[in-house]
Amino acid sequence: MALLEVTNLVAGYGKVEVISDVSFTLEPGKSIGIVGPNGVGKSTLLQAIAGGIAPKGGTITFDGKNIAGKKPEDIVRLGLSLVPEGRQIFSGLTVRENLSLGLTGRRNKKGANEAILKVRELFPVLLTHENHQAGMLSGGQQQQLAIARALISEPKVLLLDEPSLGLAPTVITDVFDRLKEIIEMGTAVVIVEQRANLVTSFAEKTIVIRDGKVQSTLTSADAANSESLQRSYFGAGE
Amino acid sequence: MVQSILDAISLGGLYSLAALGLGLVFGVMRLVNFAHAELITIAAYTLVLTAQFPLAVSLLFTVIVTVFVALLMEFSVYRRLRGVNPAIMLIASFGLSTVLQRVYELMFGALPRSAVVAPFLRGDFKVAGLSITISSIITIVLTIVILLAMGYLIEKTSLGLQLRAASADFKTARLLGVRSNRLISAAFGLSGVLAACVALILVIQNPQISPYYGLNITILSLVGIVIGGIASLRGAALGGFIVGVVLSSLNTLLGNGRVYAYSWLFILVLVILLVRPGGLLSKGSELERV
Repeated sequence: MALLEVTNLVAGYGKVEVISDVSFTLEPGKSIGIVGPNGVGKSTLLQAIAGGIAPKGGTITFDGKNIAGKKPEDIVRLGLSLVPEGRQIFSGLTVRENLSLGLTGRRNKKGANEAILKVRELFPVLLTHENHQAGMLSGGQQQQLAIARALISEPKVLLLDEPSLGLAPTVITDVFDRLKEIIEMGTAVVIVEQRANLVTSFAEKTIVIRDGKVQSTLTSADAANSESLQRSYFGAGE
Repeated sequence: MVQSILDAISLGGLYSLAALGLGLVFGVMRLVNFAHAELITIAAYTLVLTAQFPLAVSLLFTVIVTVFVALLMEFSVYRRLRGVNPAIMLIASFGLSTVLQRVYELMFGALPRSAVVAPFLRGDFKVAGLSITISSIITIVLTIVILLAMGYLIEKTSLGLQLRAASADFKTARLLGVRSNRLISAAFGLSGVLAACVALILVIQNPQISPYYGLNITILSLVGIVIGGIASLRGAALGGFIVGVVLSSLNTLLGNGRVYAYSWLFILVLVILLVRPGGLLSKGSELERV
C-alpha cells in the first residue's frame, strides 16, 4: 500500500492554476524525484502536499488519511516534513535552537533525545557548530541543518525542494550521500530538482513535470539514456 | 540630578515594557496593533475600579481582564483578517482602537476616573540628603523584574523559541510544527500581561484615567520599536528604553523649553533612521533599491 498517494492534484496561487492533474504514489522507504524546468510548478506541488498552500482539487492521501487542505503544523505531526527551497533556516538563531524547533513537530515527545543523537551522527559537522548562529554556516552546512531539523520530527516522508541549489558539486555529493543514508534508515523521500540527471540516478523513479502536468515517468535505468531524459525534460522531438 | 537620572531610567523601562508588548504581536502577525493603547487603558480602569481591594487581588483581576480583552481582540477581529494586506490590518487596528475608546467612554464616562492605587508607593525618602521618590525606585525594580522574566521566557523556553522563530519566518515555523493559532494567542495574551504591568506603573504615577489614557505611551513605544529594529524583540525593548530615557532627559534639560521635547525627540529618531534605516539592532540596511 502506498504511503503517499497524490491523485489528480490541482494547485496554484489566487486564480492561477500552476499544476493540474498531477498524480503519483510513494511506497514506504522509497524515493521519488520530481524534475522539470524552472517555473513548471515543482515547488507548488511540494507546498500543496506539505500544507503551505491549499489545493484547488484532487486528493492527497498520506498513511491512509486525506491531508489535502490540512494546516502545515498538523501535517508535520502526521509524519510528513518539508525542507523548503532556499533552506529557510533561522539565521539569527543558533544551530542548536534551529534543531530544537524540529522537535515541535514530533508526534511523540518521547524519544526526542534519541532522534537528536541520530541526527548528530548523520551530520557530525553540526555538532561542532551547535552554539554558532546558523547564518554563519556555509551553504552546504546550512542545507545539512535544514535536513537535520526536518529529520528530528522523525518523518515517514521527507520532502526536499532543490537541496542542491547554490551548492558546490562536492558539497552536493555529500548532501546526496546523506540522503541515501536517510532512505536506508527507512524514511521515504520526495526530491524536487532542476538537475534531472542528479535525481534520476538517485531516485527509484522520477516524474517529469512540464506546464504543470506530469509529462512522463522515468526509472533509474532511464538515467543512463540521456536522449530519453532530454526528450522528457525539454519535450525535444515532439 | 539623581532623581532626574532615576526618572529617565524608570520612564525608559516603562516604554521598554510597552514596546515589548507591541513587538510580540508585530513579530508573529506583522501587525502594528494600535489597539494596544486600549489594553493599557482597560488595565488602568480596572486597577482604579478595584482599588479598594488589596493590591495583589486588584492586580490579578487586572491581568485577567486585560488578557481577556487582548484575546477577544485577536479572536474577534485579527484572526478573521489574518493573511490580508498589512495595510488593511493596520486600518483595522485603528478602527478597533477608536471603537474601544468610545466603548470606554460609554462605560466609564468621558471625565477622568481616579482612585489612590497603592498609596504606600507614594511619597519619597532621603539618601545622603537627596530626596528620591518611592515610585521611581518601584518602577525601576518592577521593570527590571518584568524584563528579566520576559527575557527568560523569550530566550530560555520553548514558547520563546517559537515566538522568535515565528518573528523571523512564520511560514517556515509552521512547516516545523509551530501551531499558528496557539502562538498568536500566546503573543496577544503576553502583550495583555505587559499592558497590565505598564498600566500599574502608570497608575501609580498618574491615577487620572480617561478613555485615551494608553494612547501617548503606545505611540511613543511604536517610535521606539522602529528605532530599535521592528523585527526584533530585543530591538523593541531597547528602542522603547531609548525613547523613554531621551524624552525624560529632554524634559529635564529643556526646562521651560520642554514644549519642544517631542520635536527634539523626533529629530533624533530621524537621524537614527537615516543612519540605520532598519533600526539599531538590524543586521543590515532594510532599504530596497527603488
